Formats: sequence, structure tokens, C-alpha cells
Amino acid sequence: MWKNFKNGFIKENPVFGLYLGMCSSLAISTSLNNAIGMGACVTLVLLFSNILVSLIRKITPDEIRIPVYIVIIATLVTIVEMLVHAFAPGLYDSLGVFLGLVVVNCIILGRAEAFASKNDVLSSAVDGIGMGLGYTFAIVLISVVREFFATGAITFVNPFNSSQLIFKLGSDALEPVTIGLFSQPVGAFLVFACFAALFTVLRENAKKKESAK
Amino acid sequence: MKKNLTLALFLGIVSALAGLVIGLFNGVTEPIITANAIAAEQANMEKLFPGGEFSLIDYSDPDKNVLSIYEAKGEGYLVKAQATGYNTSTPIIVLIAFDQEGKTIGIEALQQQETNGFGAGCFERDFLDSTYVGRTSTDTIDALSGATKTSNAMRRILSAAFTAVEEVKD
Repeated sequence: MWKNFKNGFIKENPVFGLYLGMCSSLAISTSLNNAIGMGACVTLVLLFSNILVSLIRKITPDEIRIPVYIVIIATLVTIVEMLVHAFAPGLYDSLGVFLGLVVVNCIILGRAEAFASKNDVLSSAVDGIGMGLGYTFAIVLISVVREFFATGAITFVNPFNSSQLIFKLGSDALEPVTIGLFSQPVGAFLVFACFAALFTVLRENAKKKESAK
Repeated sequence: MKKNLTLALFLGIVSALAGLVIGLFNGVTEPIITANAIAAEQANMEKLFPGGEFSLIDYSDPDKNVLSIYEAKGEGYLVKAQATGYNTSTPIIVLIAFDQEGKTIGIEALQQQETNGFGAGCFERDFLDSTYVGRTSTDTIDALSGATKTSNAMRRILSAAFTAVEEVKD
């Protein structure tokens, strides 16, 4: 169980290991706030979609399982979207269309198909949380680097009340030397590539150690 | 055949349940979302109806000029409307106050990036008040010379707003 959970971070990190859900992770990783907000939404959807898919795995006819999963995922995303719109309007505005696009985030359908449809409810739920946090972890990494280089500071404001600043790391003195490129898509690709390489090295090292034993 | 029917039935049941759940959540979040939308606009609305009590009116403009209409309880209506003037990348957005008879009693520009010295002149306080305030739907509205496109955009906004107010006040 713990292994399932841990898998999502490095070995099978959905973004850097399985290369899933890259569209949203490149697009919204401009600030820490967006990354955490998006990560929380994806984790929630992933948790509940895994639970539901696992619950009905024995009665779902094989021929129509994909449409059924899509209906479940779309429902959950719509609910999360409405909740975010109502309770975190600032986040809703900054995530924009990418919140609705969680429906087609392949991590979610991928986990429903590859894991939840074959395993019991508890391990599916754990897998959902693990994968969701793995995704969050990945986009937080990208966003921290991008936000720091693009604005000179990493800020986090309360998502439920956008006027309340929780912390700001960095200094305004860095503002003249910021690199605007990092807030652009190019910056996203650069940062993503560096992290993907780093994660591959980590995985390869772990494998070597195991085979040396 | 029987197999297909079961499949269709299963998918139908799943979709119906999904619709039900979404409906329930919508019932909870909808009022909060409209309240938020009003709160975001509150500061601007207060300029036109100080201390007013606002509620959103359901209205959709086929030409997409009118963005939203609010009723100021017992005082009149507020129309938020947009149109494209000379600057095609940033549309003009204004908030217009109407009394209960449908006469304009105030106007605030929320967003405009028309050319300084030309179209931007339409949004100077004196011009706004003398040109667009105190008008009814039958009045002609003057243009600012040298700013035809901006003036035309403002006319489109005004005429869309008049139409909208006519429609909701009955």
C-alpha cells in the first residue's frame, strides 16, 4: 500500500516518469498559487474517480467502460469547477480553461483504466492520492523555478481570499534581473526538460543499486 | 440486441446519476457565484447608486454587447456593456445607470484603451456626463469629432443598453 503511494512521486511520477498530463503542467505552472490550486483539483478528482471506478468495476460492462469513466470524470471535474468558482474565484480566474480541461487530463483516465478498474477501493483511493500528489509535486517544482526566475520572488496568497498574502520568499531587489522568458511557454519546456532529466537519473541510479545487490 | 439494450441502459443510468449530482452541486454553488460576481462589481456600482441594493437580472444579448444587467432596488438599473472601438484588441467596457423610466442617469468607463487625444476624449468626465447622461432611447447621441469609431462603439453600447433596459423593466 505504502509502495503504491510512494510510486507516484519518483518512480512512476505521472509527469516526469509516465509523461502524462503534460499539457496542463506546462500551461499553468507559472506561479506557485496556480500549481497548488491545480494540483489540489486534480488530486481531488483523481481520488474520487478512482474510488467510483473501483466501486463499480464489477458491474461495468467491458464494452462501454471508457464512456462510463469519462462520464464519471466529467461529472467530478464539473463539480470541482463549480466549487472553485464559488469559493476560490481568484483561482478560478487564473486557471481559466485549464480547470475544465482536467476532464481530458490523461493521468485521471489513465489511472482509472490501468489501476482502479482492476483493484479494490482502498488501494485505488491510495493510488489516486499518491498520483495526485505526485502531479502536484511535479508542477510545484516547475512553478517554483519559473516564478522565481520570472518575478524574483515566490509568493503564495490564500486561494480562498486573494487579498490575504501568506508568504513571499525573495526580494524586490531582484526585480531588475528577472528573466521574462520563464513565464513564457519556452521557459516551461526548459524547466520541464531539466527536471525530467534529473528524475531519469534518479530512477536509473535506484535501478543500478537494486541490481548490484 | 438484448446485450446492446443493457449497455445503453447502464450508460443511461450512469449519466442520469451524474446529471443529478451536478444539479445538486449547482444548486449550492450558483447563489454564491452570483453573489461573488456582484461583489466584484460592487465598488463600481456604488459610484452610480450609492448604497444601492443590487441583484443580477437574467438577460442574454444576442449581439454580446450587453454583459450583465443589475437591478438597483427601487432606484433603477445598471447595464454593463461592451463594444469594440478604434482599438480592436481591447474592447470598451462601460457601466451605465438608468432610472426606472429608462433614462440614463450616470455612466462609468470600466475599461478603454482608445487613442489619447482622439477616442479617449469620449471618456473624459465632462464629455461622458454631457453626452451620455440624461438620454432616453429616442434621443440622438452626439459623436466626438475625430473619434468616429469610438463614438460609434459608444452608440452601439448605448442602443444595446436601451434595448436591454426596455426589455427587463416591464
